[in-house]
Amino acid sequence: MGFISFIQNNSGLVLEYTLNHISLVLTVLVLSLGLWIITGLIISRHDRLAGAVISLSNILFCIPSISLFGLFMAVPGLGLGRNTAVLVLVIYAMMPLVRSVYLGVKSVDYFVMEAGKGMGMTPSQILFRIQIPMAWPTVFAGIRVSVVLITGIATMATFIGEKTLGRLIHQGITRGNADMIIAGAVIVSLIALLLDYIMGRIEKKVISPGLRYRTND
Amino acid sequence: MITLDRISKTFPGTDIPAVDRVSFQVNAGNICVFVGPSGCGKTTILRMINRLEEPSSGRITVNGQDIMSLDPAVLRRTIGYVIQQIGLLPHKTIEQNVSLVPELLNWPKSKIKARVTELLVLVGLDPGTVGRKYPHQLSGGQSQRVGVARAMAADPPIMLMDEPFGAVDPIVRIHLQDEFLRLQQHLKKTICFVTHDINEAVKMGDYLIILNMGRLIQMGTPLEVLTEPADDFVLNLLGDDRGVKILDLTRCETLMDRDRNFPYNPDSCLIQSVKPVKIALELMMKKNIDQVGVCKGERIVGVLTWNSIKEHISRVSRDRP
Repeated sequence: MGFISFIQNNSGLVLEYTLNHISLVLTVLVLSLGLWIITGLIISRHDRLAGAVISLSNILFCIPSISLFGLFMAVPGLGLGRNTAVLVLVIYAMMPLVRSVYLGVKSVDYFVMEAGKGMGMTPSQILFRIQIPMAWPTVFAGIRVSVVLITGIATMATFIGEKTLGRLIHQGITRGNADMIIAGAVIVSLIALLLDYIMGRIEKKVISPGLRYRTND
Repeated sequence: MITLDRISKTFPGTDIPAVDRVSFQVNAGNICVFVGPSGCGKTTILRMINRLEEPSSGRITVNGQDIMSLDPAVLRRTIGYVIQQIGLLPHKTIEQNVSLVPELLNWPKSKIKARVTELLVLVGLDPGTVGRKYPHQLSGGQSQRVGVARAMAADPPIMLMDEPFGAVDPIVRIHLQDEFLRLQQHLKKTICFVTHDINEAVKMGDYLIILNMGRLIQMGTPLEVLTEPADDFVLNLLGDDRGVKILDLTRCETLMDRDRNFPYNPDSCLIQSVKPVKIALELMMKKNIDQVGVCKGERIVGVLTWNSIKEHISRVSRDRP
């Protein structure tokens, strides 16, 4: 258990990297949720746009993260550091989030919406009172995937100067220090698990019990 | 009152109209049943009344007002709408589902709560236990009842019902039909009811509107349609037991003989004059007799004989030349 003593001996450094990692992930999460949920909702109403946006998100998702960090670093005005890191991670969150919002809204039962319309709900009332609440289970699945994904890819931001836990892993590799690598990896995993757990708790609060146990009884 | 004036509807991308110059009127307090095979346009007509579809030509008025001059959402809040698939919102409780339209109309909370309780009782559900459940916890019959309660929530004078009892088994369906007819006796809603089941149509309808391939083939009371079908299509639709159906809709007093004396012991062989002939027939078969006494209250007013029933059916349901 050498990595525990590594953490104990370097607690100041580890704490700094950890907090920085978490703050990067949370910043990205807030921006992504705002941006991509709205994008998902918009494309759910414009089918032609939806195809293009989802294809784009797939392509972006397929680019290796290290090359994307490198590319954006070279863009004037972005450079090394947090701005580039945030931008790249937001791009990675696009695919799971946009797709889950789109699918969630699109998979709402036609007859439920038809009943809502027939009772005199306006299109925006149908969106906010029927489509969005019914899409939550799918959307939350997407959010939880994104959270784990962002936490993992955030380690790569070390190459453009972000002091994330990736730095422990990277330096551990260059110095051949296994304890250092394990310390970084374990803390990253713990952060991912913790955020996922928190998301799970929020999910329980947000999603109606009527949607949680479907058609099994 | 609902009036359709030469309504046609052609869906984009098709040449054949789904509804072809249909005109009729539904009077206040009546159940008007649209019946016909699938694709005959009955659902399309129904959906044009609350503007879920727009007619290609023609005019629809509700209580004298052209519906095209009204905001569709506002119009729909004044018309109850029930569909076969029910479409309860799965993420809302039964109470919340039933309060949907009153909420859209901004009723005060206390009024909504009282109304929901009243409605659930009205459709035969226990507000205490069912009210807090979610739709997936209900049986098919219970869901249909909630669907009807939800449509009646804001007490709309008009209800549109598209095969409202179509998704439940035959036993529950008959039960729901009977209950609904009982409710309608004092609610007196103006109802447009779509079904493909001629038996349901005859049972539920004050008026039938028979449609085929977008055209109105015949309209009239169930008895009128049964005794004088307009053409072979209607004859086919009515089925092989047209005579028996007539017996169910004809009152004993219509066929009774006023001048005859009733020879049997009156206690066991009497029937009320307003009962359908079908019931008199049942009594005759059970007692193995040829005639029953028809009475109004306590007084015997005539005699209904097996021969007069036979002759009547033979006369009205003989094959057309």
